[in-house]
Amino acid sequence: MRPSLPMAIDFLRAHQNPDGGWGYEPGRMSLVEPSAFGLLALHSSGDRTRSSRGLDFLRSCQKDSGAVGIGPKDTEGSWMAYAALLAFHDLGAAAEERRLKDWVLSFDDASGRFTKKEISVVASRYRYDASIPGWPWTPRTTAWVEPTALFVLALRRTGVPASEKRIRSGVDLLLDRRVPSGGWNFGNPYSKSFELEASTMSTALALAALGAADVPEGRPAVRAGLRFLADGLGGDVSTASLAWALLALKSFPSGPARVAGIAARLARLQTDDGSYRGNMFETALAYLVLSEAPILGPVRGGKR
Amino acid sequence: MSRPGVSRREFIRIAGTSTLAAWPAAALAGAPGQAARRTAAGPLLQVALVPCPDYGPETLAAAIRTGWRSSRPPDVRGKRVVIKPNMVDVSPDRPIHTDPRLIEALVLHIGDLGAREVILAEGTSHNRDAEDLFRRSGYEALAKRRGIRLVDLNYDDVTPVKCANPKATALREMALPETIATAEVIISVPKMKTHKLAGITLSLKNMFGVLPGMAYGWPKNVLHWNGIPLSICEINATVKTHYSVVDGIVGMEGHGPIMGTARKIGVLVMGDNALAVDATAARIMGVDPARVDYLAMAHKIRIGSLRRDDIGIAGGTIERVRTDFILDPEFESCRASRGPGK
Repeated sequence: MRPSLPMAIDFLRAHQNPDGGWGYEPGRMSLVEPSAFGLLALHSSGDRTRSSRGLDFLRSCQKDSGAVGIGPKDTEGSWMAYAALLAFHDLGAAAEERRLKDWVLSFDDASGRFTKKEISVVASRYRYDASIPGWPWTPRTTAWVEPTALFVLALRRTGVPASEKRIRSGVDLLLDRRVPSGGWNFGNPYSKSFELEASTMSTALALAALGAADVPEGRPAVRAGLRFLADGLGGDVSTASLAWALLALKSFPSGPARVAGIAARLARLQTDDGSYRGNMFETALAYLVLSEAPILGPVRGGKR
Repeated sequence: MSRPGVSRREFIRIAGTSTLAAWPAAALAGAPGQAARRTAAGPLLQVALVPCPDYGPETLAAAIRTGWRSSRPPDVRGKRVVIKPNMVDVSPDRPIHTDPRLIEALVLHIGDLGAREVILAEGTSHNRDAEDLFRRSGYEALAKRRGIRLVDLNYDDVTPVKCANPKATALREMALPETIATAEVIISVPKMKTHKLAGITLSLKNMFGVLPGMAYGWPKNVLHWNGIPLSICEINATVKTHYSVVDGIVGMEGHGPIMGTARKIGVLVMGDNALAVDATAARIMGVDPARVDYLAMAHKIRIGSLRRDDIGIAGGTIERVRTDFILDPEFESCRASRGPGK
C-alpha cells in the first residue's frame, strides 16, 4: 500500500512524547521547532486533544519575558521562537502569542553594536551592509539569512503588516545579502574576491519570506532567486528544501505553474511508515505544505 | 556603539564566518583531558606520517594499518566509536570535505579491531541542509553500505557539559550532542586545508563541528563572537579527541576551507594527540605551528605539544613530504622557514 498524507498524522500521533512535545526523531527529547510543527499538523488535521497537549509543552517553554528558546530549560529565547509563534497563533493562544510577538520584535541582532568603521570593513570584505538589522540564530550575535526569513515569515503569517519596521528591515537585509548570480546562502554573498555559492534551502526560505512580505516578483533579486531555485530543483533536493521551495513558489504569481510537479515529488518522498525520513519536523512540514494548511497559506495585505 | 576590546581583525570574522580573538590564555588552567604524559623512554608524543598516494581501497587500508600500528592508537574493542569528518560544504570541483573513501577504510579497520559500534557524525557549519550534504558527500551511501549510523549533530539531543575552563570564556558550559557526550572513542578525520580566517584547519579546528547548530547557530556564530582560537581550545579541552587522521592525500590550499584549490600531498598524518598531529601536518604544509594563534594557545594550555622535540615521527620525515601550501596573504606570516625548526 502506498503511503498517504493522513499516515503522516498517524506517525506524528504515534510518536508524541509524554510531555506533549516532539523531538526531531522518535523517542528524542522534545524541542520547540518539531513540537510546534507537530501540533500545527495535528491541529490542521482536526485532532484537538493531542494538539492541545502539544500546546501545553510549548507553553512550558515560554519565559516570563515572552521569549521561547529551543526547549523548556533554555533561559533565553532564540530562533525556534518563529515556530512557536506560528503555533500559538494557529491554536488561538492569544496571550502567549502577544507576549512572544513582542519578544520577537525586540529580539535584536548585533547590527546596532557595530561602528561605522566596522560596517565599512564588512562592506569591503563580504560586500553586505552590516548596519541593516535582521534576526540572529541566538541572542547577541550577527543576523543571518535563514533566521531573518523565518521570523519575517512567522510575523507576516500571524498578522503583522509588511509595513512594520522590523519586517521592512528584514526584507532589506534579505535583498542586501543575495548572492549576485542568484539565490541566497547562509548570509555571506562574498568572501574577499570570491562569490560564495547559493543553496536551495536558504534560497527557498528567503523567497518564501519575501513573498510573504509582499515583495513583487519583478524585483531583480526575486527573479534571480526564482531562477536559481528552478535550476536547483532540477537536481537532487532534500525533503525540507523541497517543502520550503513549494511554499516559496506558491508565494509568487509565476509559481503555481511549477507547484504541481514539486508537490508530487515531495509526496513521493513519504515512506511506508507515513513519515518523511522518520523526522518529525519534516513530516509535519510536508503535511502542512501538501495539505495547504492555512497557517502556511498566502498572506494578504500590507503592500510594500 | 563599539564593543570594547574587539579588533578590526576580530570584527570581520564575527560578521563573516569566524574570528581570531585576543586570547586570555593566562585564564586557562590547562587541559587535563588532552594533556600528554612523558613516557619513560622516547618522545612525549607519537605521530605517524604515512605515504598514501591515492584513495584506492587497498592503498588506504594498508596506510591506515601502518599508521595505526606505528602511533599510539586507542583501544576500540567493544567500544562505541564516533568518527568526526570535516564537511563544511560539498563541491564537485573542490576537495572541501574529508574523502568518503578514507572514512570507509577507517570504518572497516575499526570494525576489524572489534569496535561495538561505529557512528559517522557531523554538524555542518554553514549550510544546515545535512540531508543534501550527506548525500552529495557520499557519506550517506557509505553509511548504508557499511551499516553504520550517520548522525546530524546539529539536531542531536543535547546535554549540558561544564567547560574545562569556565572562567576563560563566555561559554561557561557547552550544549554537547548526546552522540559526542556518550562516545567512548572520538576520532577526528579532517582534511588538510588552509583557512581564510584561522590560517589552517586540521584536527583541533575540525571539532568546531561537534557543537550543535540549533544551539549555536549557523555558522556557529556564538563561537565566533567568543573568539575562534579560544573556542577551539575550549572545545578541545572539554571534549577529548582520542585519535586523529588527517586526510593529506589531496588537500586544499589558497582560499580555504571552501574556495581554495586542490593540492596533492599523498600522506596521512595519524596520532592520539590532536595538537601534535596538527603541528606535524602544519609543518608538512610549510606552516610554523607556533605562528598559528589557536595552535600556540592550545600548546600554552597544555592540550598537547607542538614542539618538534616532543613529537616522535614514525614512518618518514616531514622534510620528505613537505609541500608548501599557498596561504591566504593575511597568514603569510605563519610560513615556516626552510630547515628543521623547533
